[in-house]
Amino acid sequence: MTEQQHMKMPGAELAGRWAAALGAAEPGPAPTWLRELRAQAAGEFRAAGLPHRKVEAWKYTPMRAFENYELAAAAPALATAQAFEVPAPLCDRAIVVDIRDGVLMAPPAGLPDGLSVLPLGAGVERFEARLRRLYESVELQGATRAFAALNTALAQQGLVVHVKQGLDAGRLLLRWAFSPGAAATMSQFRVFLLLDDDAQLDLVEQFMSSWGGVEPTAAGLNLVCQAELGERATLRQTRVQAESDQALLLTAMTLEQAADSRYVFSGFDCGAALARHELNVRLAGPGAVAEIAGAFVLDGQRHTDNHVCVEHRAPNCSSEQFFRGVLGGRSRGVFNGRALIQPGADGSSVRQSNANLLLSPLAEIDTKPELEIYADEVEASHGATVGQLDETAVFYMRSRGLSEGEARRMLTGAFCRAVTDRVQGSGLSGRIAELLDAAMPGNEM
Amino acid sequence: MSDITMLEIRNLHATVGGKPILKGLDLSVRAGEVHAVMGPNGSGKSTLASVVAGREGYEVTDGEILYRGRNLLELAPEERACEGIFLAFQYPVEIPGVNNTYFLRAALNAQRKYRGEPELDSMQFLKLVREKLEVLHISDDLLHRAVNEGFSGGEKKRNEIFQMAVLEPTLAILDETDSGLDIDALKLVAEGVNRQRSPDRSIIVVTHYQRLLDYIVPDRVHVLSDGRIVASGAADLALKLEEEGYTWLEQGGIQALDSGANPPAARA
Repeated sequence: MTEQQHMKMPGAELAGRWAAALGAAEPGPAPTWLRELRAQAAGEFRAAGLPHRKVEAWKYTPMRAFENYELAAAAPALATAQAFEVPAPLCDRAIVVDIRDGVLMAPPAGLPDGLSVLPLGAGVERFEARLRRLYESVELQGATRAFAALNTALAQQGLVVHVKQGLDAGRLLLRWAFSPGAAATMSQFRVFLLLDDDAQLDLVEQFMSSWGGVEPTAAGLNLVCQAELGERATLRQTRVQAESDQALLLTAMTLEQAADSRYVFSGFDCGAALARHELNVRLAGPGAVAEIAGAFVLDGQRHTDNHVCVEHRAPNCSSEQFFRGVLGGRSRGVFNGRALIQPGADGSSVRQSNANLLLSPLAEIDTKPELEIYADEVEASHGATVGQLDETAVFYMRSRGLSEGEARRMLTGAFCRAVTDRVQGSGLSGRIAELLDAAMPGNEM
Repeated sequence: MSDITMLEIRNLHATVGGKPILKGLDLSVRAGEVHAVMGPNGSGKSTLASVVAGREGYEVTDGEILYRGRNLLELAPEERACEGIFLAFQYPVEIPGVNNTYFLRAALNAQRKYRGEPELDSMQFLKLVREKLEVLHISDDLLHRAVNEGFSGGEKKRNEIFQMAVLEPTLAILDETDSGLDIDALKLVAEGVNRQRSPDRSIIVVTHYQRLLDYIVPDRVHVLSDGRIVASGAADLALKLEEEGYTWLEQGGIQALDSGANPPAARA
């Protein structure tokens, strides 16, 4: 591609602006290999720029939403994160870790023996070999990887969680919040989750900034998380995103699972202007299980993109992808669910399902389940549906006295309950159901 | 029996998808009465039930329906429910994800709110539900499941009658509530209905077969054929129909009806 063609691409101007900001960023205190990796990542970003419409993985999520964003300073001082009102934790009996305006607040004290929750710098020192391997495993080349490159180059804020062999660490809540009226800046944040053999962790992430009429926030976050599950380890992850209408959120999770480990993920989106989640799971040891579910409730001009890929590399693993979408207004949802069964991953079991309710003629869902099988004796099912509410059910409910609006709200809520019911702890699952219900599109049909 | 007219249907014409189904139906039900509407498949029985409940897609092209003296056709389905009309569905709808108890409490409270009565909290509602459950021999288990989801045919029909018991309608229409039930389930459903007979409540039993009427003995039986009531009579009219079959009607059997079965006009 010539330079001239490149400049015409949407997002080229933005990429240029961000590349300039990258050049000015301080590499920060870190081991030599990490400083070199950060410089290399910056170089990759400068070379490739941002993904444009012709990049398949970003086809439905244009760069337009990012145009007004500047990159946040690479190393924001702890003091600059204002003490502002944040919503209460979504669940009780959790160790709470606060991240405000992309800055990690002081990690909590009094953790159980064997659970470490460290800021990125301290984590790199303590688990240098493991983190180096994880850092270096991230692909940085090409426009598809632009945000991974940006994160690697710039993220000096981060969190390292380690759960020692055999320990059930209980529930850890990451409470993300951005200050009211925050400028349109993109923060970079890096998370590492290290679960040794037989370890267990219940991770809850809440992304909620506007709460009870607080000013909307235009903050952006580019979050990269890498996780390692030892043999028979269990990671539960529940992500609840009910950000303000202006917010922009990108998450990319990569998970490597050893034999007989279990990963249970539930993700909920009912906020933000744009949220895109990439989730890449590698079932590397026999008998590993990944249960991945999500629900998104979109109205207005919201945009939510879920890109999930599960790779079966060992025999007798099983995975499920189960997503539900409710779309109203002019919202747009994207679901791309891929399952890849590598040669030798015999006896794999794969289920994929994405069902959507389109409640407005102007809403759009792009759904694509992909199944690639190169092994034997694989049990696989996949399906995607797009539909409207069951009008017979609406009439049934009205014939019992419920108003049409109530009937429709109850039915759309019920549609998502298939996902909220998977969340452990009735308190948390009930709170999530309430948040989704509150975000249900108005009945503008 | 009182002399108050609960439902008065006059010259009702209705179409479904442009096709005429009801072609001048007259029916009058007084408070406290149980009426049976019988007829062969396609005669318009379910259409009648749907039109009274206000289902979309059923267009009334002529005639009127007065419910306690009020024009029913101008009311939305939920307003009809709040005014005391209840339809037990022929095919109760499964609603995955909506808890049976939650749904029923929301419905009851919507109706109470409409009538200006205080809403019931979950404790008060549970107490009410327990009382009604005993009568219908319904297990608690049904309450905790999603509305009709995975229910057997019998459970679905019993759940309809249970809803009726909780909502305490003034006019209930049971649309083929007997279909798909074995004899034990049929008896239970009939018992549930009989317990709800009262001087203030009217019930219309829509059915193809006479069998249900052995257990819910009606005050009046109407025969529906090609969209009109062609004969009305006492409970034994149903037995006659069962004996002779519906073809007997079409072959001019009406003329042979006994004295108990007069055309409605003659009775009025």
